[in-house]
Amino acid sequence: MDVSEKDELRNGDDTTVNYDESANNPPPDWRVSGSNPVSDSYPTENLMMETLWYDPTNVQAVGYGGFNGGGNASSSSSFRGNIDRSLEMGWSLPNLLPPKGGNGMFLPNASSFLPPSMAQFPADSGFIERAARFSLFSGGSFSEMMNQQQPLGNPESVGLFLQGQCTSNEVNVVGVAHNDASAGMKETNVRSSEQGNKQNVSEDTQSSGGKGGETSSKGFDSKKRKRNKQNAEADQSQRSQQSEEEADNNGGGDKKRNDEQSPNSQGNKTNSGKQQGKQTSDPKDGYIHVRARRGQATNSHSLAERVRREKISERMKFLQDLVPGCNKVTGKAVMLDEIINYVQSLQRQVEFLSMKLATVNPQMDFNLEGLLAKDALQLRAGTSSATPFPPNMPMVYPPLPHGFMQQTLSSMGRNISSPLSPPINGGYKRQETNGWEGDLQNVIHINYGAGDVPPDSQAAAATEASLPSSNMKVEP
Amino acid sequence: MASADKPINTDVPEKDVFTLHFLQSLSNLRRQNTFNSPEKTNDRVKKIKKAAYVSMARAAGGTNRLWSRALLRRAAKENSKVVRFPRRKKRVTCLRRRRSNRRDPVEEEEAERLRNLVPGGGGMETSKLMEETAHYIKCLSMQVKVMQCLVDGLAPK
Repeated sequence: MDVSEKDELRNGDDTTVNYDESANNPPPDWRVSGSNPVSDSYPTENLMMETLWYDPTNVQAVGYGGFNGGGNASSSSSFRGNIDRSLEMGWSLPNLLPPKGGNGMFLPNASSFLPPSMAQFPADSGFIERAARFSLFSGGSFSEMMNQQQPLGNPESVGLFLQGQCTSNEVNVVGVAHNDASAGMKETNVRSSEQGNKQNVSEDTQSSGGKGGETSSKGFDSKKRKRNKQNAEADQSQRSQQSEEEADNNGGGDKKRNDEQSPNSQGNKTNSGKQQGKQTSDPKDGYIHVRARRGQATNSHSLAERVRREKISERMKFLQDLVPGCNKVTGKAVMLDEIINYVQSLQRQVEFLSMKLATVNPQMDFNLEGLLAKDALQLRAGTSSATPFPPNMPMVYPPLPHGFMQQTLSSMGRNISSPLSPPINGGYKRQETNGWEGDLQNVIHINYGAGDVPPDSQAAAATEASLPSSNMKVEP
Repeated sequence: MASADKPINTDVPEKDVFTLHFLQSLSNLRRQNTFNSPEKTNDRVKKIKKAAYVSMARAAGGTNRLWSRALLRRAAKENSKVVRFPRRKKRVTCLRRRRSNRRDPVEEEEAERLRNLVPGGGGMETSKLMEETAHYIKCLSMQVKVMQCLVDGLAPK
């Protein structure tokens, strides 16, 4: 009998069913079959299983308070339909601990939630029994269950099973064991789906199951206290696994195992430590630790998807600040349109300005190096707000644009399309560059008129000329 | 991938750097003998434009940014020059393939247009594309400012 098996495994010696002692009235079927000894006999289990496949809606209505409603022995044909509906609550049942209105009804609850979650798999009673045993953190090895049970067959179904268990909306799983199991299972699910390695499945679940088993045996009264911590831990573990899965898609594949193990082991340590607060994600990992939010699917794919979406929206916000005039616009599509238009307009501006430069340039036969040097000398003396330049630049580099900016702002609107309108950062320039404009224009005209005026600082010009002059060539 | 807490780094060098690079390229252009001939304005225009982009790419961080790298590579290909970049993990393409089925169609259409605009955007995932776009926009606007200043400063009065 399932319940008795779990009980036995948890307590280690008791073969009687716990709930017999409870005051509440468990369904008579349970009582009857509770006395069966632990065995692998299929017929007995079959019988038990069918009786266990009560109407899940009943459980929901009852509020997990046990099978007081008694309509549990619904026909096995009907439970299939109900099972799918209540699949989500498969693992959520043990959330309520202690169950509402009940005191010692944990055990039936524990066993009751199993059937719904297992509906999606071949309803082989042997498999179910093994899975149930496994899920309740039995000390029995998962590998032996896998090996024994041929209908279980491929690890896909196991993976499915694990996945099914982990798709519950409520992440606050009761107890250490559940956390470890689910975390471990999720981890193994991810791993098995990606690497197809059965050994990992067995050893990880084994470890988590074993650990869960021992901690769960400490008693359930302290579960509530532990639960919050473990919830955080499970969340972090799940999150870390999600992010690690995603991160691993980016990075190498070898690190994944170690990193996935480390959060899980951290979780175990924390759980056993029991006194530490929320063990936040290890910063040394360098991975994103995603927390599954309440009411959201904890599917590995959806979590990664959510992380990705959040990243994109964060970048969108950043872009919104960049592109002028996008504050009122909301929605990704329109925003992207705006951004695209802005980029196009910027590129067009560059093209237009280069055209202008092309027409302007040949008209004045000025020495660029000289221009720069002269400007440098003039401006340097003239202003104190010269931008400091790197020491390795032998040539004095003038903050040309500052002076130009003044003039640019005044003439800004003529040819340039609106996105580049003045107020970008022109405001703060005004006060400091008032005197430059005239100086700069003088300098330019001097050079302009003088033609190839030899620069004052020949050395500077020579140095500049000796700089890697192959601008058109690409250098790394 | 780094943690999500790290802020997006889109620092752009000062205008001076841009101006320096641009003027260098311009002066280099001028040294070419056939540059100042009155005909062939279009060629000149194209060269100047290319110089502008290349100098911008170089000024904006060289090979640290995907778009600048793509730009430089494209320019080098036109010049049939050999480009040597520091080795980096080439993981963008596989990332894209894997995620291709889980994207919002509307967003992807826009992202496609953006990819065509931003150099080097073809092999990037959407979030990375956004980051590159932000940096690219900053650099572009900086370059436009520099060029505008130059044109205005050098224009005959």
